[in-house]
Amino acid sequence: MSDQHPFIQVNHLFYCYPDGTQALDDIQIEIYEGEFIAFIGQNGSGKTTLSKCLNGLFKPTVGDVIVDGLNSKITPIVQMVRRVGYVFQNPDHQLFNSNCKDEIAYGPRNIQLPEDQVQERVEEAARVVGLDEGFFEEHPFFLSKGLRQRVAIASILALRPKVIIVDEPTTGQDTRQSMEIMEFLKSLNDKLGHTVIIITHDMPIVAKYARRVIIMGNGRILADGPTKEIFTLTDILAKTYLEPPQITQLAQRCVSLGFSPATLTVEEMLDQYLRLASPR
Amino acid sequence: MANVIIEIKNYSWRYLNTTSPALTNINLTVEEGKFIGIIGPNGSGKTTLAYSLDGLIPGQYNGIKEGEVLVYGKEVEQYARGELQRSVGVVFSDPESQFTAMTVEDELVFGMENLGMSVPEIRERLEWVTELTDLKPLLMKPPYEISGGQKQRVALAAVLAMTPKVMILDEPTSMLDPISRKRIFEVLEKLKSEGSNTIMVIEHSLENLIPLADRMILLSGGELVLEDETRRFFQKMPLLLEKGVHPPGSMQFFYELTENGFISNLLPLGIDEAVVELEELVGRKSGYGDPR
Repeated sequence: MSDQHPFIQVNHLFYCYPDGTQALDDIQIEIYEGEFIAFIGQNGSGKTTLSKCLNGLFKPTVGDVIVDGLNSKITPIVQMVRRVGYVFQNPDHQLFNSNCKDEIAYGPRNIQLPEDQVQERVEEAARVVGLDEGFFEEHPFFLSKGLRQRVAIASILALRPKVIIVDEPTTGQDTRQSMEIMEFLKSLNDKLGHTVIIITHDMPIVAKYARRVIIMGNGRILADGPTKEIFTLTDILAKTYLEPPQITQLAQRCVSLGFSPATLTVEEMLDQYLRLASPR
Repeated sequence: MANVIIEIKNYSWRYLNTTSPALTNINLTVEEGKFIGIIGPNGSGKTTLAYSLDGLIPGQYNGIKEGEVLVYGKEVEQYARGELQRSVGVVFSDPESQFTAMTVEDELVFGMENLGMSVPEIRERLEWVTELTDLKPLLMKPPYEISGGQKQRVALAAVLAMTPKVMILDEPTSMLDPISRKRIFEVLEKLKSEGSNTIMVIEHSLENLIPLADRMILLSGGELVLEDETRRFFQKMPLLLEKGVHPPGSMQFFYELTENGFISNLLPLGIDEAVVELEELVGRKSGYGDPR
């Protein structure tokens, strides 16, 4: 991976809101094509602000965000959003058209694609998220939260961005709906080659889907690495009031019995138990 | 045996202009002072059940009711307007939907004034509730300008201030980060230890809920599918998984051990219990600490 060129390069990024609040403090990261990353941290730690810097919605106060060779400071937003798409935490903050079709078509129209290509993009995006064409004329507000989230994701996909950032994809969803959305993001990642970044508080979801985790706190990156390693950094996690998934906590408290502190799933735990508890 | 505070008998409710009932043939008895966890997929009728207990249904919604919903032995419709709400308080899942005032303090006082409490009593309860929910620094702020976690604490405090005998919380932590979620559950734990309230919590976050809940209820498709003492409830793991409920990791782990015939212990409710059980199991099996 290291000889590959990063798709996104963030160099000493600082961001201050107009009221003077410093939201990002010297961020340094590289993001490669095909990664599945989770941004974790408390509310107000800078996860969403960083995401909005990555797609050019916010311009750095100091430092640079380079996406696919383009510096966000001087690149028109139209070029940025074709590369990095951001799906809002609350789909209702993003959806504003009176029917689903126009909602999904809004982005492609906005970047001034000809209407026949717009139609093609809409149909493609709807197919990918599993939104039946029967919903095209429906008002998004009368759909369930799960479907609204799909419309929101489709409207971003229609721009065919390489990187898709989804802010809290599972908030307000029940377990089954959460799994559906995550399996869908997984397929975007491993079948269609999108880089996926999720922002979430749900640690079991992080353990199951993300291969890399970035912990944020007070606008800084506190840790960045493979998921298994990150969940063993219990001190840093505790400092940010985050806890690894419960099964990982159980393994970590039973390290003296021979369990690995990097256990992420119930299956891994069972395998170890069989090894440890079998009579010698 | 404790007093029965809520009794639901063969209760069904269908909202007007819908084809299928939101709740079908519910039978449930809740004893005073118990902490009840209510779980189930979205759309399974959890919120409808909450509204049925504080008189919003059938009071504020049109629909068709069958069966009985009794609070202190009296049908909810039989209560005079506002009387039932002294006994049963609901904290809504969207805190903003319950805010009416310009400051957090007014928000907390509003409900008590409506109940006609005296000024000294309001003052005393305001102090108690701001202490309990840690809201002192926010009292003068508009409820719209505080964070999501703070809003949910204000919503909870506003209902707490009225000290209803039954408190129903509808997904009180759905929009919160882990630390704010923990703080809400700490408040609920304190409340439980005071022991004077019956508390019913609708929640998807099971890791926090399970250690507090005396009993659990699973709703699915408008029906009450399972209701039992918490530990026994989770023994029905296949049913729970089939209904889309995913119990916490350590519970699933111990269930798998039981299923595969390795152990016959009870399922641990929290991480501390799980650690103790696992130490015993592995220690014994592998011969650590074996006196021979």
